[in-house]
Amino acid sequence: MKKLLVLTLLVLTLLAAYAKTPKDTLVIAANTEIFITLDPAVCYETFPAAVVTAAYSGLTKIEPVNGVLTPVPELAERWEVSPDGTVWKFYLRKGLKFSNGDPLTAEDVVFSFRRVLKIRKSPAWLFEELGLTAENMEQTIYAEDAQTVVLKTKPLAANIVLSIIAPPWGGIVNKKLVLANEVNGDLGEAYLTDKSIGAGAGPYVVTEWKRREMITMEANPNYWRGQPPLKKIIIRDVPEETTQFLLVQKGDVDIAWNITTEQAARLRESKPSNIRLVTTPGQSNEYIAMNVGWGPFKDERVLLAIKYAIDYDAIINSVMRDFAVLNQNFMPIGYFGYIELNPFKRDVAKAKQLLAEAGYPNGFEVELITSTTEIRRNEAVVVQANLAEIGIKANISLMPSGEMFKKYRQQGHQMIIAGWGIDYPDPDALAKPFANYRIKQLAWRNMWYDDYAADLAEKAGAEQDSAKRAQLYKELQEYWIYKSPFVMLYQPVIFWAVSNDVVGFEKACEGYTLTFDFTKISKK
Amino acid sequence: MKLASFIVKRLFLMLLVLFGVSVLVFVISKVIPADPVGAILGGNAPVELVEDLKRRLGLDKPLINQFFDYMSGLLKGDLGRSLKTNRPVVKDIAEFFPATLELAISATLLSIVLGILLGILSAVYRNKFIDHFSRVFSILGVSMPVFWIGLLLLLLFYFRLGWLPGGGRLSLFVTPPTKYTGLLVLDSLLSGNMEAFKDALAHLVLPTVVLGYSAAASIARITRASMLDVLRQDFIRTAKAKGIGKRLVIYRHALRNALIPVVTIIGLTFGGLLEGAVLTETIFSWPGLGRYIVNALLVLDYPAIMGGTLFVAVIYSLVNLVVDIVYAALDPRMRI
Repeated sequence: MKKLLVLTLLVLTLLAAYAKTPKDTLVIAANTEIFITLDPAVCYETFPAAVVTAAYSGLTKIEPVNGVLTPVPELAERWEVSPDGTVWKFYLRKGLKFSNGDPLTAEDVVFSFRRVLKIRKSPAWLFEELGLTAENMEQTIYAEDAQTVVLKTKPLAANIVLSIIAPPWGGIVNKKLVLANEVNGDLGEAYLTDKSIGAGAGPYVVTEWKRREMITMEANPNYWRGQPPLKKIIIRDVPEETTQFLLVQKGDVDIAWNITTEQAARLRESKPSNIRLVTTPGQSNEYIAMNVGWGPFKDERVLLAIKYAIDYDAIINSVMRDFAVLNQNFMPIGYFGYIELNPFKRDVAKAKQLLAEAGYPNGFEVELITSTTEIRRNEAVVVQANLAEIGIKANISLMPSGEMFKKYRQQGHQMIIAGWGIDYPDPDALAKPFANYRIKQLAWRNMWYDDYAADLAEKAGAEQDSAKRAQLYKELQEYWIYKSPFVMLYQPVIFWAVSNDVVGFEKACEGYTLTFDFTKISKK
Repeated sequence: MKLASFIVKRLFLMLLVLFGVSVLVFVISKVIPADPVGAILGGNAPVELVEDLKRRLGLDKPLINQFFDYMSGLLKGDLGRSLKTNRPVVKDIAEFFPATLELAISATLLSIVLGILLGILSAVYRNKFIDHFSRVFSILGVSMPVFWIGLLLLLLFYFRLGWLPGGGRLSLFVTPPTKYTGLLVLDSLLSGNMEAFKDALAHLVLPTVVLGYSAAASIARITRASMLDVLRQDFIRTAKAKGIGKRLVIYRHALRNALIPVVTIIGLTFGGLLEGAVLTETIFSWPGLGRYIVNALLVLDYPAIMGGTLFVAVIYSLVNLVVDIVYAALDPRMRI
């Protein structure tokens, strides 16, 4: 027995040899379950989109400028637009190359944009929003010469067009290489699912994706701005948050991407010497929506009563551990046209009075659906307790997202807690889904067929004059906050545990979940 | 000859089981009121896009047509394409199964050695210290949650002591061995890559201990009960009366007879481990089949669910077949 023990200890000691990560390599521990594809025409998930953005440059790039996310020139050095905002000419930089050295021309841009429309997966609707479709693409997306791309869009504000054509979905792929790897007319979709070797012109190249093990990116020697500071980025699959947290504390990884709010709160308080907590306001929001086609919610006073019944502070403090900010507007703080409007504070008496006026002095029973994540579960419990105080009995139904979205898309819910990830950094990306039922998004799902709000959202989206546009959004926000069936709970704060050897992460994550810039990261 | 016809009969029955399983899983996955395409496209995707993709995937066809499409693919060995990964399910399973197999083999080996040894000792030294120890060990093993033991071991051996790695199958900066079988320990030996061998073995230790421990606990309990039962029988007394040594009586006469229920448990344990152990895989970042199937269930990626379930059914049937053959080898009466 003793011999066995000694032998085991000896083997364990021999095996124990683990070093810090190399200086030119960034190692991230993350749950990669969310990774489905790294093809820019298909990828739609937050973290994978950051990888795609690193691998594929676009005509423009989303960048924080004075704290505001703005589309700035990337592969296009400049552009021109007709006064009505419908004809765009993009002029490519000279001498652009893909990572394998192939020249990048207007033909590649045209091919990439048309490819998004032809494949028609998750991101396609954004291009279709611009008025570009698989049917009209020959006339609306074309190359004038090797350096010039023409786009013919619907009349829209410049910021909308320039933001939507930025990566991930606006990432330019190498036409020649993609077509050479086409299988059964899939436009290279299978090929680009797990690598970008030679296919992109971004600062990094995805060289390998071993599913449920790791994703490896290497610096692109042909990137037009020059090589980025890190030679290699490895995203190691670590599905369990606790394991991620142990790995980053131990120095085996540089970043723990998915720590829990509890771990983040602990890090905020303990401030250890080797790692730090990095936070940034998230480009998304969390809301309760009420289907105004259903029973009591047809009455606006009931909607308002619920807005007064919710304890916003309790949700932010207890459920989110202060990793969220109060924002009852549909737009994130600081967006173009954003006005600070937080008129609702928990007021049980007022809520009860409104319910009584609407004819429900004793409340009613309602089904509250949400997904099964811990945060949503906890939010549902707080909301249930808040509503109980004004006599409304909310029955919580937790369901997997597949079931929840089916019900939601069929307008089959009564009340739901959900979130909205922003697709492009423009108020239009929120005004349309939240206020314009005609595009069959959130307003439509909740049967809020309000033409005044829909007209305002449409008009503001097409307005070319900035001042007028801001005024239209102001009117919309002031109307929407009282009339809409949405109760905005908060704007989340996103957080990471980051090794103190990592420099520039604070800059890189600015604008996440919409964008993430790996080129701003280096190591000590 | 008899054994051969037995195997053929069992294989035929297996086909029936597989057909039954595929019908059942297909019906269940279609009855659930969920929308896998909508879930995969994400909450922001508009209704038209979801409907359009469903059309392109043939999910708007009548159920019976979808079932025949699926079954005709199945007969050609095609398990379909995962809705989520957009890859053939066969390819996905082939990618994740070796990791599961490697862990299942090592955990089963550990559980057999530990379980049978403790079971025998505890039966032979009934009510002595080793018996009490073994019983506490078994009760802890079957009652402690796997994720809890896993995290504790990780905290101690990785975080505090630094003796073992913190999950995964191989360290990031170790060159992986040439792929022959997909089992890293074996492949690194075959390719003579000793660095990878050491590293893969170190990564295997903690998940093996976690899974092997709970399996060893059940094996120890069954072995003990079965041994006690056999030790009380007349032929053991006869053997002892004939003056045969204690060791020989225990190992040759008693153990062989006591092993039959134990083999059943080992078979079931191995079968269970081969379908993947989702909690252990999650804690130790082990890229196995369990997480693949569970995640497919979460988004209702039904080709992956069907493929995964059929695969697990095949594994179970095969393991059961092997268990029956081992029975026959252990107990001549079964061969009659």
